[in-house]
Amino acid sequence: MRTAFSPLGFVVLTSGLALAASGAFADTTSSPPNSPTGVWLTTDYPAVTEQVGKSFTMDLSLENHGMPPERVQLSLDGVPEGWHYEFEGGGNPVKAAMVGPGDTRSLTLKMTPASGAAAKTYALTLVGEADNQKLSVPISVTLAPPAPASLKLDAKLPALRGSASSNFDYDLTVKNDSPSDVTVNLAAQTPPGFDATFKEQYGSQELTSVPIKANESKDLKLSVKPPQDVPAGKYKVEVGTSTGKVQAETALLLDITGQPKLALEGPSGMLSGSAVAGKEHSFTFTVNNTGGAPARDVKLTADAPSGWKIDFSPAKIDQIAPGGKAEAQMRITPASNAIAGDYSVDVDSNGQGASDNLKFRVTVETSTEWGLAGLGIIGIAVLVMAGAVTRYGRR
Amino acid sequence: MRRKGHALAGMSTIAWKEAADHFSSARFHFVMLLVILTAFGSVYGAIGEIKNTIGQDPFLFLRLLTTAKDPVPSFVAFLGFLLPLVSIALAFDSVNGEYSRRTMSRILAQPIYRDALLFGKFLGGMIVLALCLLTLWLLMTGLGILTLGLPPSGPEIARGLAFLVACLAYAGVWLAMALLFSTIFRQAATSALAALALWLVFAIFWGMIAHALTIALAPIDPTNPMTLVNAVEMQSALARISPNTLFSETAQALLNPQTRALGLVFMDQMEGAIPGAPLPFSQSALLIWPQLSGMVAAMLLIFTGAYVTFQRQEVRA
Repeated sequence: MRTAFSPLGFVVLTSGLALAASGAFADTTSSPPNSPTGVWLTTDYPAVTEQVGKSFTMDLSLENHGMPPERVQLSLDGVPEGWHYEFEGGGNPVKAAMVGPGDTRSLTLKMTPASGAAAKTYALTLVGEADNQKLSVPISVTLAPPAPASLKLDAKLPALRGSASSNFDYDLTVKNDSPSDVTVNLAAQTPPGFDATFKEQYGSQELTSVPIKANESKDLKLSVKPPQDVPAGKYKVEVGTSTGKVQAETALLLDITGQPKLALEGPSGMLSGSAVAGKEHSFTFTVNNTGGAPARDVKLTADAPSGWKIDFSPAKIDQIAPGGKAEAQMRITPASNAIAGDYSVDVDSNGQGASDNLKFRVTVETSTEWGLAGLGIIGIAVLVMAGAVTRYGRR
Repeated sequence: MRRKGHALAGMSTIAWKEAADHFSSARFHFVMLLVILTAFGSVYGAIGEIKNTIGQDPFLFLRLLTTAKDPVPSFVAFLGFLLPLVSIALAFDSVNGEYSRRTMSRILAQPIYRDALLFGKFLGGMIVLALCLLTLWLLMTGLGILTLGLPPSGPEIARGLAFLVACLAYAGVWLAMALLFSTIFRQAATSALAALALWLVFAIFWGMIAHALTIALAPIDPTNPMTLVNAVEMQSALARISPNTLFSETAQALLNPQTRALGLVFMDQMEGAIPGAPLPFSQSALLIWPQLSGMVAAMLLIFTGAYVTFQRQEVRA
């Protein structure tokens, strides 16, 4: 902003140098005839506002238009007590700068206000002393109290949908809008039974707090695990972050779609029973729905050895409510030539999207009819003996 | 002349006297010594084998009786082989011995009927056998408790007692057989040789005879699998004529609870069966019931034969 030239400096520069240049250098410079010639010390923003307790810098430039090279000694006037300043050029501390015709030097003024500097406006003067002139730029620095600290919490996808067995992972961004580094505590309030853990975005470590540098942000992941038997519905999770002074909250939503889950149970909880070969026996099986949605069209089937007859009544259960149960009778007839001992029968329950099976152990007993036949043989032998005794008994 | 009093009066006197004579006879001592020594040998071998090989088994005490350690056969195999010998030793001269000692007319001069004499002699032999088998079983069980450090379980005791009954029936068949020969042959040596010959046939040669008979009676046609089934069934039916086969099948089903069938089993009958699952005792008993009742019936019929033969003989002073 060239309008920041001081009228006084402008007058001094023009009066001292324009006359000397008018005759000797008029032809050699390529500048337009009416462009000003001279050496200037300028800054883009001569009136700035800075935070209390912080160092700051100002960009300066030294320009030479159509004048011989000039050495300019730099200094600052009106510096309050306890303040420090320093000029830097080309990365090094400098006290003076030289600029050739048509050239520009960039300089930096670095200022450190006194530690107890009050928040008000300070007037200073930037002074450049050349051999035969004095360049001066008045600058004003206003120290202001720091902006209030604040914390921002944003969820990338605040509402997720899934089944009770899935993990809900929310990506969160915590931003520290304050001039100082802070440690942010993390907390999540869930419905009872839900499990929430904070993690780094690409890490497995669980977090309870996270340090964030001034004006920086951090990406976190919040994993919410609902309990297995949660009924379908919408659940809200409140996430809070706090530094002790400031806090930020956001609300997350879990939309849990329920699914049926079947658990098959044998007669009074047992997985075994006994049956006589060739005779029908009946066992009561119970199908439990431990899921979060009704189980529909639950079919019961069994895989038994060949020659066995197995059916269920009912063979199909229309609906089992969540947490409910239904009973079915298994009628089993072992093959009539089945030999005694234990057989395994696979019992399956299969609903829409849910199934369970168990191995039912059937102890086959053989019929005792042949045992009676054996007794009959012994009886015949006894009768033969009795006959012999009556026939041949010596009287 | 109609006889007075009960037909079997005096039978128990004869039976107990007979048993007492056996217990004090040198012949019986010698045979029982043989049985007890072989039994100890086989059970001792079985204990070593069980300690080496079997970690856990619900039927350890039954294993004690069925485990063999080369070259000693198992206790059950020994019993199957030696029990007929004990029975023959007890009864091969029980009737003809009375004749040769000329004591028959003296006994019959007592108020005892002939029926009671033969019944008493048979029962006396059975009492001796029962006491000996019970003692043997208790000895083996005690040896098992001492060396294995475990008491036998309920099913093991039930199976052991059922096995004792089967042993008794098996020994009874041979006792009746020896009694029959002792009534048929007047010479004790002849009856002993006849009984021993029969014992050898059934103990050693019967398997070969059954096999040869099967080939003759049910030839196998390689193109017809049913002939093979018939042949196998024929062979097992023939083998079961021998009381030794009946006894070994009974012992197998009673002492190996995993035994589910004793004959031919088809693949479709074993489908879905859980291998190695033990049968309950009642099912094992049902499985061997035909064998056991066959042995009991054979014992009764052979004894009836001996009775008829004896009743038709002339007793002279």
